[in-house]
Amino acid sequence: MISRNLIALACTTLLLSACAPQDKQTITLSGSSTIAPLMVEIGKRFETQHPDVRVDVQAGGTSRGIQDARSGLAAIGMASRSLHADERDLVPYTIAQDGIAMIVHASNPLDGISSEQVVALYTGKLSDWSDLGGAAGQVVKVHKAEGHSTLELFLQHFGLDNAEVHPDLVIGDNQQGIKSVAGNPLAIGYVSIGSAEYEVKLGAPIKLLALDGQAASTAALLAGQYPLSRELNLVVNGEPDANTRALLAFAQSSEVADLVDQHAFIPAL
Amino acid sequence: MNRREAWRARALGLLALVLMLAPLSLLWTVFGDGIGVLDWQFLLAEPEQAGRSGGIGPIIVSTALVLLICMSLAVPLGLGTALFLVEQVRPEGRLNLTLQWALDGLGAVPSVVFGLFGYRLFVVELGWGYSLLAGGCTLACMVLPLFIRGCEQALRDCPQSYRQAAASLAISRVGYLRRILLPFAAPGIAAALVLSAGRALAETAVLLFTAGYVMRWPESLFDSGRTLAVHIYDLAMNVSGGSPASAATALVLLGFALVIQLLAWQIGKRPLSFAR
Repeated sequence: MISRNLIALACTTLLLSACAPQDKQTITLSGSSTIAPLMVEIGKRFETQHPDVRVDVQAGGTSRGIQDARSGLAAIGMASRSLHADERDLVPYTIAQDGIAMIVHASNPLDGISSEQVVALYTGKLSDWSDLGGAAGQVVKVHKAEGHSTLELFLQHFGLDNAEVHPDLVIGDNQQGIKSVAGNPLAIGYVSIGSAEYEVKLGAPIKLLALDGQAASTAALLAGQYPLSRELNLVVNGEPDANTRALLAFAQSSEVADLVDQHAFIPAL
Repeated sequence: MNRREAWRARALGLLALVLMLAPLSLLWTVFGDGIGVLDWQFLLAEPEQAGRSGGIGPIIVSTALVLLICMSLAVPLGLGTALFLVEQVRPEGRLNLTLQWALDGLGAVPSVVFGLFGYRLFVVELGWGYSLLAGGCTLACMVLPLFIRGCEQALRDCPQSYRQAAASLAISRVGYLRRILLPFAAPGIAAALVLSAGRALAETAVLLFTAGYVMRWPESLFDSGRTLAVHIYDLAMNVSGGSPASAATALVLLGFALVIQLLAWQIGKRPLSFAR
């Protein structure tokens, strides 16, 4: 009998709470899982300044962000790349930049690599470190799994087709890529510059290679010199309302630069 | 011959030990990474810095709510369907075959497909948005085939002689169901419940599509809320420096699963002794 009462009580509470009036405006964001953790933090800070607004962030990938922004399910979509030609119906607001660095183990004598060498390595035309001027040893190529925007950018930049790449190791995310290279003196891989610098600071034995003579660093990326980079965008469909406009401006402002930095991206100011 | 059997037993024992090592090493890694972060504060506090610091309080609440919605839909519907299949439908009839076929088909559908279905139906068409309610309903759809199958098996295990004895004593149908069949099947139903709850707890993709990603304390069932599995996934995959908090969350999820297991064990034990 007691349990029955409890159940009744629980149901009533749930119903009541479900019917509770919502006097706050909710701004929903959805899209790229690279941007989502950052936008959660930006949203939190925005909420403290605008108590009448709630910022709900949903992850799920760039394509979903674009789809949700179009359908109106989300007020703002998140896209971790610049918009394609057929997506020009949406308006992008760049909040940060991210680059991809080629990384090797810290004990590797190499300091830089050229685009031709990367292509030759990943297509299997070169396979030994001595071909690149390093110590002899079979190169272990770390590659990203299908569906990651890092992979898309890597292939696009080097003009590669994923079918012609013969990797030794296929990994999922940045953290895993860094761990695989840190644990193998013969490995080469590519990860987000921000994450790589962050891990180097924490003491991971990896080295960021200069690409075509350009040092891979957040500073070079900021100066626009590093070639392999992408934009992190917020996209909206049509004219946003006042609070959404305020959030877009806030996400691009210097007030959140420390958050962007914390997430190992470069603020786009 | 005897000797050979002894060898075989030893080899199998060794194999079992090796197999035990896999889950043990998994536990070891998760414990090693996560135990340093885990304390009361972690269980109660809100996440900070995208989950790298702070706690998982709102996430535990969201998980519990989603599971509650899922189970309070799946249990009555699933048990009802199983009773209907066992009691009302002729085993060799076309209806039974069709239903079994549909159940098996649905059971084999990858969970992501249920996620897309839930996203389309609950989130978009019904206009609930990303919400705990949408997540719970989608999970209920996902675990229903599994739960129905489990219940059905448990109910069919009840010997035919019980039914005949009940009939000869002129016990009503409802009386037979409540006093004999259900208590007899309770352990099996509890096992089905645990399996379903476990599957629901482990689900990530489905909830990312439906319940969503928000880490705030849920205020209503129409709020979006992130579950433990989604939190673990996000910390491990998208947040640099998130692994310790991710491992600690995994420990909490393990604890949750253990508690459900114990609960089901208790439920499964009691009515059986009562029936005897």
